[in-house]
Amino acid sequence: MRGAQIDRRDFLKAAGAIYLASLTPAAAETLVRADAVYASGFRAPDGSFGAALLAEDGRIVSRVALPGRAHGLASSAKKVAAFARRPGKFIFIFDRQNLIAPVVVNAPAGRHFYGHGHFSPDGRLLYASENDFDNNRGMIGLYDATDGFRRIGEFPAHGIGTHDMSVSDDGKLLIIANGGIETNPDFGRTKLNLDHMEPSLVLADAATGDLVEKHELPEALRQVSTRHIDLDADGRIWFACQYEGPRRDLPPLIGHFGKGEALTWIDLPPEVTRSLGNYVGAIAVNRRDGLVGVTSPAGGVSVVLDAASGKVKATGILNEAAGIASARHGFATSSYDGRFLDSQETVNWDQHIIRLS
Amino acid sequence: MPNPRSLTLSLILALSAALPALAQEAAPHATALQTDAVPAVMEKAVDGFIRPGYRQFVDKAKALHAGMDSLCATPSDATLKAARQGFGDAVRAWARIEIIRVGPVIEENRFEHILFYPDRKGLALKQIQGAIASNDKSFADPQSLHEKSVAIQGLGALEYVLYGTGAETLAQKDGDFRCRYGAAIAGNVENMAGELSSLWEAPGGVQAAWKQPGPDNDVFRTPSEAVTGLLGVLVHGTETVRDERIETFFKGADGRIAPKQAIFWRSGLTFVSMQENLTGLKNLLNGTNAASLLPPAKRGVIDAINARADKLIETTKTITPDVEAAVSKPDERQKLVSLLDNSRSMITDLSDGLGGGVGLSAGFSFADGD
Repeated sequence: MRGAQIDRRDFLKAAGAIYLASLTPAAAETLVRADAVYASGFRAPDGSFGAALLAEDGRIVSRVALPGRAHGLASSAKKVAAFARRPGKFIFIFDRQNLIAPVVVNAPAGRHFYGHGHFSPDGRLLYASENDFDNNRGMIGLYDATDGFRRIGEFPAHGIGTHDMSVSDDGKLLIIANGGIETNPDFGRTKLNLDHMEPSLVLADAATGDLVEKHELPEALRQVSTRHIDLDADGRIWFACQYEGPRRDLPPLIGHFGKGEALTWIDLPPEVTRSLGNYVGAIAVNRRDGLVGVTSPAGGVSVVLDAASGKVKATGILNEAAGIASARHGFATSSYDGRFLDSQETVNWDQHIIRLS
Repeated sequence: MPNPRSLTLSLILALSAALPALAQEAAPHATALQTDAVPAVMEKAVDGFIRPGYRQFVDKAKALHAGMDSLCATPSDATLKAARQGFGDAVRAWARIEIIRVGPVIEENRFEHILFYPDRKGLALKQIQGAIASNDKSFADPQSLHEKSVAIQGLGALEYVLYGTGAETLAQKDGDFRCRYGAAIAGNVENMAGELSSLWEAPGGVQAAWKQPGPDNDVFRTPSEAVTGLLGVLVHGTETVRDERIETFFKGADGRIAPKQAIFWRSGLTFVSMQENLTGLKNLLNGTNAASLLPPAKRGVIDAINARADKLIETTKTITPDVEAAVSKPDERQKLVSLLDNSRSMITDLSDGLGGGVGLSAGFSFADGD
């Protein structure tokens, strides 16, 4: 059965340029954005940066110019937030329907954004992972989506080198991936503590910021940086890692846990682990299909796991692998060299795709 | 009707058949890379740049230490001048090789033991002044100094000893403790230089890892990983000149100006160290014959990068060494603006031109935790 979106697209095709020309630019933009299913950051051929909204088939339906590089994104029913990374100086929040002007949140003094964040389920709060670089501690900034994204406070991330973060479906828990790597804008990309990393996965109370659980990695896995997360239908947290130790090691890179449980690592076949190049760049859960997908730019692959068993269901070559997000079935993937599903664009996709909530 | 162009579950399941294909190493990242050229390039990087660079730094650090010892033994204007000369030489040698910010230098905080910079909050100054005033022997011994704050034991601290308030006492007996503290810093820097050089000289160690990418390699498992690592040195090295060495004190015509945040401003070596950074980058690019990594039709980008580097180096030579004057006089400020502009372009040429030329996507992330 054809849905309302298809009808609208067909109508647009039929009406073509004449119809679009009769609309104000803002109204035309609103209409095309209705087709959007995914969002991702990109770099354009002229070196400028933006965020794109894409349709189910990977076609770009709308582009938004950004003041700099955006890495991760988050969405609520009305908004999309793009988080800057390296340098992490802004969050750019734009309206999904193009009805309200975008908002740029600048990093407060003494903080920079790490490139990820998440909306509360009701869309009223935006959380952002941040670096308190003078004190070398990760923070979660809180921004009021009902009041122009005013910064209303911050919580400790209970760890260092915070990267990805999420919020439980009931909005009660913040789920925080502390990569454990110390960086400081004064020292550029230099990783300052590779010989004494402190990776951890943290559950914190979303109302108070209080620590609920902290999972530090055992000594043998100290150089496994816990970086990206997604939640499955049962609220189980899937996490993906990057290993900073010797390249010949084959540490586990993917795992999951639920509240009150120890971490469970997925024991991938060695050839699959090797293919990931000790570096998982993105992870996504398809709740409907019960699948977990990861991409590795270092290995140029995507791997799909069965969420229930942890077994590998599929692997694929994906040169220049960038993001992965849940598709209607399976996953949509992108690449640094402009592929999104099987649509080829003249942009470089950044590392993450989100499926709009 | 499912969208035929989306990656459906059935397609994913069909891809399961591809699993055996992954039994090999990770897929090549840079498809246009002239793989045959990689071993020679990496060998030249190690044997022609990194090892000689650290050896040179050892020599200059040794001479610096000896110069400080002479100054302490026979304080005079002449020995102070010689010690300062030794400091300048060591700064030059370090600046040439400090563009290598991977491997042993970032382990055990060796980099910070040699150079603690930037120091936006001026945390080091009070500690250094405290050390000079302390008369505490533990500051005058390289080993015990090494155990203290990294802010007080590297080239930045020694610059204060030699050029900061009260440095003139070094030419007299009054400056004895200050001098011995300075000599301990020089000793610490010499030790650090020696450690770095030994680690890079050890057969089978990091040098082998760089020269022989392969499945058993701890650093680079494929030629393309090795090239990505080398490109990373070039791109990040240039980024550091712009972000860490220029923008720290001059953020553009309308930006923040803080001349006393500039590296080595007291000794007038700010632009000298930058010049050596850039010369190091240029030598690494050309000495490795990085052009050979590119398909012949794309090698023109190397000329563009060299032209950019030459312009930058020329500017660092002609700009006044007085940073205060550099940020305040219009002509000199214009040179700072041109340093920012050209370094920005050089980063793009390296990242997109050279990186893109070997098949890495423009703006590739170097797998830096993204």
